[in-house]
Amino acid sequence: MVVINTISTESPRDSITRQIEKISAENDEPDWVTDLRYKGLKEFNSAPGSDPIISDPLEFLSDQDETPADGIESLEDLPEKTRNLLDELGINEMEQRAIAGLTIQDGTGMIDSSFREKWEKKGVVMAPMNEALKRYPQARERFMKLYDPGASKLAAYHTAVWNGGVFLWVKEGVKEEIPLHLFFLIQEEALAQAPHIVILAEPDSQIKLIEGCTSPILSKHSLHLDMTEAYIGEGAKVDLTVLQNWPEYVHTRPTQRVKVAKDAQFSITSVGLGPGKSNITDPQYWVEEGGRVDVESIILAKEDSHVDLGGTIHLEGPGSTGINDSRAVIMDDSEVITRGKVKAKGSRTKGHISCDALVLDDGASMETYPGLSSRVEDAELSHEASIGEIKKEELFYLMSRGLTEEEATQLIVQGFVEPAIEDLPEEYLSEIRKILDLAVKGEA
Amino acid sequence: MLNIKNLGIKKDGTNILKNLDFRAGKSEFHVIMGPNGSGKSTLARTLAGHPEYVNYEGSIEYKNREISNLTPDERLKNGLMMGFQHPPRIKGVGIKGFLSKVLDKVDGDKTEDEKEEIMTSLTREFGFSEALLDRSINDGLSGGERKRLELLQARLVEPDLLILDEPDSGVDVDSLELMSNQITQIHNRGATVILITHYGNLLKRLDLEEVRVHLARAGKIVTSGDKDLARAVEKKGFNQIFEECGCN
Repeated sequence: MVVINTISTESPRDSITRQIEKISAENDEPDWVTDLRYKGLKEFNSAPGSDPIISDPLEFLSDQDETPADGIESLEDLPEKTRNLLDELGINEMEQRAIAGLTIQDGTGMIDSSFREKWEKKGVVMAPMNEALKRYPQARERFMKLYDPGASKLAAYHTAVWNGGVFLWVKEGVKEEIPLHLFFLIQEEALAQAPHIVILAEPDSQIKLIEGCTSPILSKHSLHLDMTEAYIGEGAKVDLTVLQNWPEYVHTRPTQRVKVAKDAQFSITSVGLGPGKSNITDPQYWVEEGGRVDVESIILAKEDSHVDLGGTIHLEGPGSTGINDSRAVIMDDSEVITRGKVKAKGSRTKGHISCDALVLDDGASMETYPGLSSRVEDAELSHEASIGEIKKEELFYLMSRGLTEEEATQLIVQGFVEPAIEDLPEEYLSEIRKILDLAVKGEA
Repeated sequence: MLNIKNLGIKKDGTNILKNLDFRAGKSEFHVIMGPNGSGKSTLARTLAGHPEYVNYEGSIEYKNREISNLTPDERLKNGLMMGFQHPPRIKGVGIKGFLSKVLDKVDGDKTEDEKEEIMTSLTREFGFSEALLDRSINDGLSGGERKRLELLQARLVEPDLLILDEPDSGVDVDSLELMSNQITQIHNRGATVILITHYGNLLKRLDLEEVRVHLARAGKIVTSGDKDLARAVEKKGFNQIFEECGCN
């Protein structure tokens, strides 16, 4: 089901202007922030519409106001549909088990302020983006610096109408072992789902972040444009895990821009169990001397979803490393394309791209285009890819031991995904396995 | 227990099995020997319900019921199990979780602790280290170890009819001893066993009173006898025996 509400009577410029006015008034934001929005608007008309599916983001929006749910202070106050979605991501279970480090951002505010205070004492600051821009120069200096609003219509549009998101700041030398769970529940008020996230990890800091993202079933939110800018300071280490489970009609266009300083490490594991109708992304990573980036993507594509994962790791400094691994289970009539790139500019750099896909149905398809380029002589770059279906002999073997065809398929699919997810927290693993099982069954 | 009449299987237009007759009664021990390409493995895989071999001529009755429309898992639940000649490696699927599922299938009432106990003690009994349970199915196991794992599963399942497709190929002498003991044990518990093999190595070690030995050639059973027939094959080779019995 695709729900598209078309605005027919208004010019794009008027429509975006109206949205900017509304958002900036609601946020009571500083003029320079609003000025940036108008810069986005200016770029919008001339920016190239490079997205193969969304030529005009305005088509995906309605001009109806949606009233935010009032008085949400805990998960109990959320509408049932939303809670069910949280269930699917394992969030409810986690909260019940009182796992440390879960916060939920609802619209532009954060549920549970005591939680913020607790982490702030440890040296980890998190604040809604609007608030952060007013309060922290560290946020202002880094906001919307890593990308060009004129690069595409979607980038320009994000610049104009971004709303919500967080600023996360880990202070110098702060090392936190307990993973911080950030959950974005995007359910209200924003005309576009376009949160903006800035991560600042100061030198020698360490943090593990787990980011969950979903939205309840609201027809107007059929386009989701989030942007993350991350600055990983010298010697810092940031592990980010992103779990996405979108309804089947949502188009998602996440953007990531990450700067990895000398000897710093950034790893991102993204698990897309519900990629939505389409998911197109082209993150960029810049790695300085001795730094390292690990990009791991796990994708379950089903129904008729279209997934296109780009991503370029720029190995700028000598001795830097970039790894891009993807693992896809492709079902029904879905299509997955991977085009990871590693560009070696520094000497003694190392890069590797791998792509493994398990194609379960005749209508499902997979394409992979690894890109390696080097400007230096001594870079070590490699790639490998495998695209296959479930081997009949494996299925026969498991069935000959009493497993039904469905159970055997589930086990093989799990086994295929397992190596990529084994380092995730146990609470997520059991949820991921459950969702995979349901998908194989045809129920997810 | 098992009654095969006039079984015929074609693959790509060629007969792999043709007019094959075979009977096995309760708690009997049968050995099927034959040169490469005589159809032994096809017979084993057909009995286990391989999807390529479900459209056959003739009939296969197991426990007085035609089994052509039973899927492999249904056959197992009815007590029919086949040990693979080449057990496949299944990456990422842990042996422990897998065996636990198999145990659920044969006896759903066992608690996690009971299952754990059974798996660990069998692992030891079959000469594996406990680390085996943390590996993926057949991953990083030698040919001989894979065959031992097949027999271990047979002990878990306790089938009424166990078909073993060349359990002795690729197995070292020490393992042969262990395997022949296990096969004898399974048989002594009342299972009907059909052992498919090239050689008499394993057979020699089996402590059995009564064995029926069958020779397969070009997709059918051409002659049957007792242990002496197996000895004769060892001594003279298949070709001479086939000539002597007019089986060519």
